[in-house]
Amino acid sequence: MTSPLNSDDVTRRDFLETVAKTGGQSFLFGSLFVNTSLLRLPQDAAQANAKAKAETEAGKGIIYGFVVDTTKCIGCGSCVRACRVENAVPDGYNRTWVEQYTFYPDGEVVVNSPVGGENGFAEPGPTRNMPAGLEAVQPVRGFFVPKLCNHCIDTPCIQVCPVGASFKTDEGVVLVDHESCVGCAYCVQACPFGSRYLNPDTMTADKCTWCHHRITKGMLPACVVSCPAEARIFGNVSDPTSTISQILSTNRVQVLKSYLGTRPRTRYIGLDSEVI
Amino acid sequence: MRHAGHFVRLLALVAITVVGFLFVRSLVVPKDYGIKGHYRLSAIDDEAKREPRHIGSAACAECHDEIAAMWKAGKHHTPQCENCHGPGLMHTKVVAEDSTKGYADKILKNKNAIKRPTGIQECKWCHLKTFERPSTLKSIASVERHITDHKGTYTPNSKCVDCHNPHTTVVTPGKSGLASLTTAAK
Repeated sequence: MTSPLNSDDVTRRDFLETVAKTGGQSFLFGSLFVNTSLLRLPQDAAQANAKAKAETEAGKGIIYGFVVDTTKCIGCGSCVRACRVENAVPDGYNRTWVEQYTFYPDGEVVVNSPVGGENGFAEPGPTRNMPAGLEAVQPVRGFFVPKLCNHCIDTPCIQVCPVGASFKTDEGVVLVDHESCVGCAYCVQACPFGSRYLNPDTMTADKCTWCHHRITKGMLPACVVSCPAEARIFGNVSDPTSTISQILSTNRVQVLKSYLGTRPRTRYIGLDSEVI
Repeated sequence: MRHAGHFVRLLALVAITVVGFLFVRSLVVPKDYGIKGHYRLSAIDDEAKREPRHIGSAACAECHDEIAAMWKAGKHHTPQCENCHGPGLMHTKVVAEDSTKGYADKILKNKNAIKRPTGIQECKWCHLKTFERPSTLKSIASVERHITDHKGTYTPNSKCVDCHNPHTTVVTPGKSGLASLTTAAK
């Protein structure tokens, strides 16, 4: 049987059939290479895996965690100011910020965060728009909630990065590679917590790094050091003797937006359901 | 086989595309990309090599030991030195190389970059009464009212440190709170 393409009378049907078959085979063959581990330097990957395994076995596996105790926060904004200076955060952007929640007897909740709480908070609190003819009511309770990057385990911001500029270190810190970042800001939109922003100076995505440059030198993040109320606790959660492990084992903690399934590593003590 | 030429050209085109793609890829993809995941491994070191700007109160105490001892013994030892005085790195070292030039320039113009606040704004960060703050924290409802309450001692131009020693919280009305901490650094 001669191939239909070699004969003079190539029908449209034959042609389309052949194209479909060849295309399908090419697709299947090509899909073998989609798994990048097949395509890319296998010896390096093997070495890296062996090294990671050895480190974990040697007990060096550090997993960082962060606990925010909202019951202790006094809303001074020291963390916000320290973070701005430590990380040269441009004005109008925040890597960490403090939210003021004020509850009214009729169930109304007012959330306020002027400049992220950088200049503290003032009395009177946020003005509340009352319906006409009604007098303003006094709030019944309130608290402050500091916010920062949650460094999620299943983080959406890394998934959407088209150039591999967002990544997670072995210690669980989510970082941005400012050399690779093209500033498309997909990750800024993907983060459900608003933790990322596009830095106008560098035009790359930027975010809280848990002060990676400090914690790798054995220091604490700037916001943790500057907190006068000990509302922020940072440490190695894989070490059962660390402060954070002690706090996590003796407190009931909660994460923000747990229903999204991002599994945040930043946990909160004393969080109300109104806090989102 | 009179169509063979088409195949040859097609295959040549595919081969050139593939080889070209792999060549360009080898140029643009960093060497350490993909070792542990879809990222450049040395980006971790890039991030880690940044210099911490907050040097910590222990570092301040190495020179300013008298004030540090006073601060540590007093009630006001939870706010760190750099909370009010600003980061110490510029004080101890001129930032020669900085990715954020704007900040470095701004801070270097500011004398030696260490702030010596006289209060009100700095004190209000924590000690202005708001509904959400715990009642155990000493707070004032407003600076104006605080001045009215202590009429005679204060003038409208008074600063917090005129009476309060911010390092110890000791109050000495009518006498400068700063008078006791003019001890110069060694």
